Amino acid sequence: MGFAVRHWWTKSGRRHRTALPPARAGLFFLGSCLFLASATAVASAQSPDAGEKPVPILTGTAGAFSFVTGGQQQLDAQVNPVLLLPLGEHWLVEGRAEFQGAFQRPPGGGPYGGPVSKNLDYLQADYIANKYLTVDFGRFLTPFGIFNERLYPIWIRSIQQDPLIYPLSAESSDGLMLRGGFPANPRANLTYAVYVSAISTSHNNLQSDRNVGGRIGVFLPGPRLEVGASWQKLLQDARANAFGFHFAWLASRLPLNMHGEYARSFQGSGYWVDGAYRLSQLHFWQKAMRHTELAGRMEQFFSGSITPDEAGALGLATANTREGELGLNYYLKDGLKAVSSYGRQFSSAGNVNLWSLGIAYRFLIPLGKVGTP
Amino acid sequence: MKTKIAILALALASIVGVLRAESGPSKKDTAALALPSTTDTSALRVLGEQRYRANCGRCHAAPRKFPPRMMATVLRHMRVRATITDEDMRLVLLYMTQ
Repeated sequence: MGFAVRHWWTKSGRRHRTALPPARAGLFFLGSCLFLASATAVASAQSPDAGEKPVPILTGTAGAFSFVTGGQQQLDAQVNPVLLLPLGEHWLVEGRAEFQGAFQRPPGGGPYGGPVSKNLDYLQADYIANKYLTVDFGRFLTPFGIFNERLYPIWIRSIQQDPLIYPLSAESSDGLMLRGGFPANPRANLTYAVYVSAISTSHNNLQSDRNVGGRIGVFLPGPRLEVGASWQKLLQDARANAFGFHFAWLASRLPLNMHGEYARSFQGSGYWVDGAYRLSQLHFWQKAMRHTELAGRMEQFFSGSITPDEAGALGLATANTREGELGLNYYLKDGLKAVSSYGRQFSSAGNVNLWSLGIAYRFLIPLGKVGTP
Repeated sequence: MKTKIAILALALASIVGVLRAESGPSKKDTAALALPSTTDTSALRVLGEQRYRANCGRCHAAPRKFPPRMMATVLRHMRVRATITDEDMRLVLLYMTQ
């Protein structure tokens, strides 16, 4: 339900796995290597950073939140450090870990307690081959939709709870990915990502599945609109397909941005749409209003062909669910914001109120000498 | 199923409606999004600001400017994470470091 309990549920509910036939896995790997070799052969030797020598950076987020779901309070504290290590002109090694504590009072009363989870979200090497192609290998965030890769950090998301459909696709994958973005013409950019995940593990901190998939998108700089589609095929267990669509839009005349996703798999389907509006155009209390943001999200989840217990173990809702949330965020300074939200969840399993209150911070520390700003 | 289709149609119609109502950039603005064949730094900075707002603002609030070597790392990271084009990355880096 909330992002604070997602990993907890996921960890407790891994399903049994079957091995991918070695010949099939080898075929995917060989194909990827051939593509990589041909792409590298045509790679240009240009520097990707236009002259500035990049410095290693330790960045990431930290936050503390209180979630109240149907009267049950949960305190959540987390730190998500991100290491960015540029090497030469074409390489970047990057990784993100997640340390998260989710604490609740036991049903009979007593002190707060709960699990502290440690996860490696990604640890990948990126090779920027040319302006059309970047090759990533290692453990990476699965490029399905836009939430997992781009909107997940707590200082970015405008509503702190995860969308209901978030667990429908794998969060992290281990293998090889090819991706890039390039202008198709002056009015449209194309983006793509294709990947193969070759490792299946249910290790508590390094979960991943064997799968292949891809995402394609179009960004129109004029209306600042991005639309795209994703696909993923599991290469184990049910060998099922999942697909989805997404959009992101930034208004030109209003301080408003909107995002949305639709996803469908045998585990369920659903959509979410959210928006965030900065109140900077109001003519009163301007000093405060320009730091204030109104946010909202509407979402719906439809159960798939798995049992409620299996759905719960994956972090999905156990019945058809609708949810609406309104949020009020205040940016105290760059990278530091206070967040709050109220929502109502409607489900055949019971209707509940959803409250959240907290603070999110993004830090950025250079690990070397830097120039003047 | 009909309900799903109706909801999707409604969402699509809303987006199209807002896009039409929210008068987008003029032809002049749209034309300016193309990279001109100029070495004029101030013109490139203007372009860089446009690309910065269009690319970065789609996901998060605008960050402040950091020292050039930090910005180079951040932009390399964002090029990969958000599949920003090479051209956009260079223009945004120029804008954020000058």
